[in-house]
Amino acid sequence: MIHYHFDWSAVLSGAPLHWIVSGLWVTFNLTIWSGVLATLLALLLLGMRLSAYRGLRWISACYVTLFRNTPLAVQLLFWYFGGLQCLPGSWRDWLNTSHQLGGVHFPSTEVLVGVWALTLFSAAFLSEEMRAGVRAVSNGQFDAAHSQGFSHWQSLRWIVLPQALRYAWQPLIGQYLSLMKNSPLTMSIAVTELLYQTNQIESFNLHAIEAYAVATLLYLLLGLLLSLALQQLGKGMFVSGDLHVK
Amino acid sequence: MIEFKNVDKHFADLHVLQNINLKVAKGEVVVVCGPSGSGKSTLIRTINGLEPINGGEILVDGQAISKRARPAERQKIGFVFQQFNLYPHLSALQNITLAPRRLGGLSEDKANAEGLDLLAQVGLVEKSRHYPAQLSGGQQQRVAIARALAMKPRILLFDEPTSALDPEMIGEVLSVMKSLAHGGITMMVVTHEMGFAREVSDRVLFIDQGRILETATPQAFFKHPVHPRARQFLQQLQSPLHLAEESA
Amino acid sequence: MLSKLFYYPVIVDNLSYLLFGRLAQGQPGGLLLTVLMALAAIAMAMVLGFILALAHWFSPRGIQRVLWLLGEIVRGIPQLLLIFWFYFLLPMLLGRGAPDAVSVIVALGLFNAVTVMVSVLAGLNALPGGQHEAAQANGLNRWQTLRWVLLPQVLDHIVPSMVNLLVALIKDTSLAFVVSVPELTMVSTQVNNREQIYPLEIFLFAGALYFVLCSLLSLGAGRLERRLNRRLGLR
Repeated sequence: MIHYHFDWSAVLSGAPLHWIVSGLWVTFNLTIWSGVLATLLALLLLGMRLSAYRGLRWISACYVTLFRNTPLAVQLLFWYFGGLQCLPGSWRDWLNTSHQLGGVHFPSTEVLVGVWALTLFSAAFLSEEMRAGVRAVSNGQFDAAHSQGFSHWQSLRWIVLPQALRYAWQPLIGQYLSLMKNSPLTMSIAVTELLYQTNQIESFNLHAIEAYAVATLLYLLLGLLLSLALQQLGKGMFVSGDLHVK
Repeated sequence: MIEFKNVDKHFADLHVLQNINLKVAKGEVVVVCGPSGSGKSTLIRTINGLEPINGGEILVDGQAISKRARPAERQKIGFVFQQFNLYPHLSALQNITLAPRRLGGLSEDKANAEGLDLLAQVGLVEKSRHYPAQLSGGQQQRVAIARALAMKPRILLFDEPTSALDPEMIGEVLSVMKSLAHGGITMMVVTHEMGFAREVSDRVLFIDQGRILETATPQAFFKHPVHPRARQFLQQLQSPLHLAEESA
Repeated sequence: MLSKLFYYPVIVDNLSYLLFGRLAQGQPGGLLLTVLMALAAIAMAMVLGFILALAHWFSPRGIQRVLWLLGEIVRGIPQLLLIFWFYFLLPMLLGRGAPDAVSVIVALGLFNAVTVMVSVLAGLNALPGGQHEAAQANGLNRWQTLRWVLLPQVLDHIVPSMVNLLVALIKDTSLAFVVSVPELTMVSTQVNNREQIYPLEIFLFAGALYFVLCSLLSLGAGRLERRLNRRLGLR
């Protein structure tokens, strides 16, 4: 069939190894930063969706529908080619020059656009999972909170949301993993994350199979670590009062 | 203490409460009974705003309750649900101290001390750290009663508190309710437990199809019910099988 | 005046290319290619997914675990990586070049086949145990039980989620632009590279096309699900 000579050192040493490590670091940063920002945005969207004002609920619902029914690729290209164009020229110039913040390099324009697009995209999915969690909380809980004299927001804060989060936690972990698996799309705007670097190695020394094998392993490991970390975080948050929820 | 003036409520086409007029005096224990679908649950849920009303007004302690009942108004009224509705993510003690701490501004220590007192009142001090899932139905309902008392309400409302309990646990809940009644708090109880009504209540209200059809002292109501539907209801309660055979 | 806000002429000028690609030259592209690829991928996913589910159902524990592990690996890596795998592997395996679109279809098909497999197995396991027992009491063997009693019930539940899968696939075909397959996202990029100054209009239009297609399908899936629930007597 095919005679293929595996040469792992071509991928795991020298320049290729540097590229892999730096790519992994970029992927990690994309995931973490987008994850945190998307979570905050998702909470805002959830708050709007649960608000007493119809206008806010409508805006939130429209946002979610819009960002879930268009591909991340189109959104990414829209922000990079279209969104950047809308920024004032001076901002663009500032972004395009290299900066340092206390010894650490300020991220490049491409990385910023990547994080921006990933954040806006993922927030829609995260907030839907959170909303499903709220729907899973029984009506009796709202009644009990109401009867004790908690306001709408107080009920959410102390009684409903803690329960909603427990119901939503597993699906939310799935969404964070999805975010990590969506991050390679940023390679199309020249963000030098792991898959981008893997392709660099391939065009450098043509050892495609080894390169992709290593990338596969690294993504799997990253996913495993992320999943374990989030499970632990969940255990830490819900240390008491297990709702007997799977 | 509680007053209904020409209260009306609709659920889409259904006229659930029709021109309700009643007064509950301070310290009175009133039992509300009636067949299912009569509106008795809805009646009691309008007092603290769980159900809004469409016409008339409700006064608590002389003040008209707003349509949805403001949070401050609700804090003065304690409510006990048929399904207990304890907060599953909090322990028994935490269920009781949540409102005093977050709404009443009590410190954790003070709230805990008062909470343990209430648990003692309902006989469950040793379960303070347990979670609702670890408690039996009767225990959960007793914690729910303690929780309803946490903000020192002037009125206690009960919506079929023992209907969701296994028979052997009904007694422990009723005995807590009896001691509360003897303590002098104003109570309004929707229930089928006629023994409780006979022993403890000052007055029985019979409601059917959204109207209060009869109001009497328990002795009068159980011995000589006036309204034909009230009579039918009591007969059915006492011997359901007998009546089903008769009408078959 | 509208063209000041949204320069629609750029869309009108490039409309046929965006929708159909180079269809005249026998190279379908744009929205047409997107839909074709999505349909091909879902067909592959459903067939392969069912086969895998059946294989899992009738296999001993050891093989079941291996299947599950392979499934976890396929779904645990980014879809884009899977596309690259087939981009390089397919020519090697077939001994000759394959159209790039095929690599994408195979990758997406495999990824979603695992999803279908998991879905079917979950559906089978969710059926009340009594179904299996009743069938056996009637004298049906394992295969017949599956064919006549269990699968028909699972299929009913699966149809709405298959439509949702199609919606996801339509969006995922956009990944193909990274390997230069001329589907809608790729041709939009090409048009943008040529026109240079109207990226907002071009990508908004592309986004709108996806949005309309996906929304319509989602609504259809929702309606199907409601009709199904009514028929089955649920809620």
